[in-house]
Amino acid sequence: MTTEIHTLVGAYVLDAVDDIERASFERHLRECESCRTEVDEFRETTAQLAHDTWSVPPPWLRENVLTEIARTRQAPPIVPEAPVVTPVRGVSRRRWLISAAAAVVVAAAGAGSTVYAVQDQRVRDQREVAEAARLNEARVRQVLGASDVVLSKRPVTTGGQVTVASSRLQNAGVVLLSADAAPAGRVYQLWTIRPGADPVSAAVLAQGQSADVVLVEGLPGAALVGVTLEPPNGSATPTLPLVADVKLV
Amino acid sequence: MAERGANRRPEHLAAVPDSGAPPPVDAGDLLREVARGDEKAFGRLYDLVAPRVYGLIRRVLRDPAQAEEVAQEALVEVWRSAARFDPARGSATAWIFTIAHRRAVDRVRSEQAASERTIRAGAASVDTPYDAVADEVSGRLERQQVRRCLEDLTDLQRQAVTLAYYQGHSYPRVAELLGTPLPTVKTRMRDGLIRLRDCMGTGVSA
Repeated sequence: MTTEIHTLVGAYVLDAVDDIERASFERHLRECESCRTEVDEFRETTAQLAHDTWSVPPPWLRENVLTEIARTRQAPPIVPEAPVVTPVRGVSRRRWLISAAAAVVVAAAGAGSTVYAVQDQRVRDQREVAEAARLNEARVRQVLGASDVVLSKRPVTTGGQVTVASSRLQNAGVVLLSADAAPAGRVYQLWTIRPGADPVSAAVLAQGQSADVVLVEGLPGAALVGVTLEPPNGSATPTLPLVADVKLV
Repeated sequence: MAERGANRRPEHLAAVPDSGAPPPVDAGDLLREVARGDEKAFGRLYDLVAPRVYGLIRRVLRDPAQAEEVAQEALVEVWRSAARFDPARGSATAWIFTIAHRRAVDRVRSEQAASERTIRAGAASVDTPYDAVADEVSGRLERQQVRRCLEDLTDLQRQAVTLAYYQGHSYPRVAELLGTPLPTVKTRMRDGLIRLRDCMGTGVSA
């Protein structure tokens, strides 16, 4: 299996793979130090190929770019590179992939609690309709594994935090809520808020539930992910104030 | 390419900073300053890399207007994620060109999904003529080396690498264009890159 995926290294560096192959190759990279080295070397090689493409850009491009960056917020550094996770002998491939995906989020978000959220999700999924859960889980992994995933993290005013992993390439995001218990008689509800449109409910948590992993297709178009406290079973519109809001870049 | 011609040169030469004598700046140093939000450093980084970023994207997209748009997106992305550049993993220019190439390919693929127009062009020529003005500016030796090293490859290696890199084709498409089995194309891409790497050296240049 490893050999099979590794044969994609050339195509991967040349961007000749599709998004799914890219995600699986990047998962492979996280467990293979020598492959990372090869990729890094090949990147230098393809950068040399770019030397052969000099073309003087139109003069106004400079001004346009400088204007644009002046109003573009910079992303924070990615907290350490995804750690090298050594698979334990006998652990199933399926479980290994999930822990790899979780490890990325944990490493990037720097929050130990998120790993439990991912595992919670897994346990719940296994009890639910198996196929739907499997697809959802695969999709979550795909988004978390996307090469362009951007993580944004905000505190929840009632304690804890919410992390949003968003990928334009996948046109989706994953919301990881890891909050303290909601006040009695209230539940957490997640919303996506788009400019000029009504907030859309992304998930209503059960009573007593304070952690969840929610996949949101089309998330990169949204401006904000909000969290509110609502009566059991949620509300049609958010009850203000938001207890957390994550602005999407 | 229609606008190529002698009357185009003065304008373009004028657009090149310091008329062919760029200050010796290192993209990695600049990128570090950019990561701290330094817009002036970004301007200098722009001058250093924009012709290659734009040229690369234009080579892949073949449409100057689209290339301009995607180059802008790519350069703003460099600004936005500058703090995520990890010098331990390679040079700043390699990082920047990776972003630019990925953007160009993403654009070309979404185009391909809508039309098959690029297949014709892609099959017709592997070598797109480059901008003659570039020779006047800089990088002549680097380009000569790139070409010499490309010539060292077998035909299949060279075509597999250039169809993917310069034209943004996926490897299944490359296999189709070359009438070659998929596993062979994957292998040729890899061993082509190995040969290029060994020919050009893994040395880092700004």
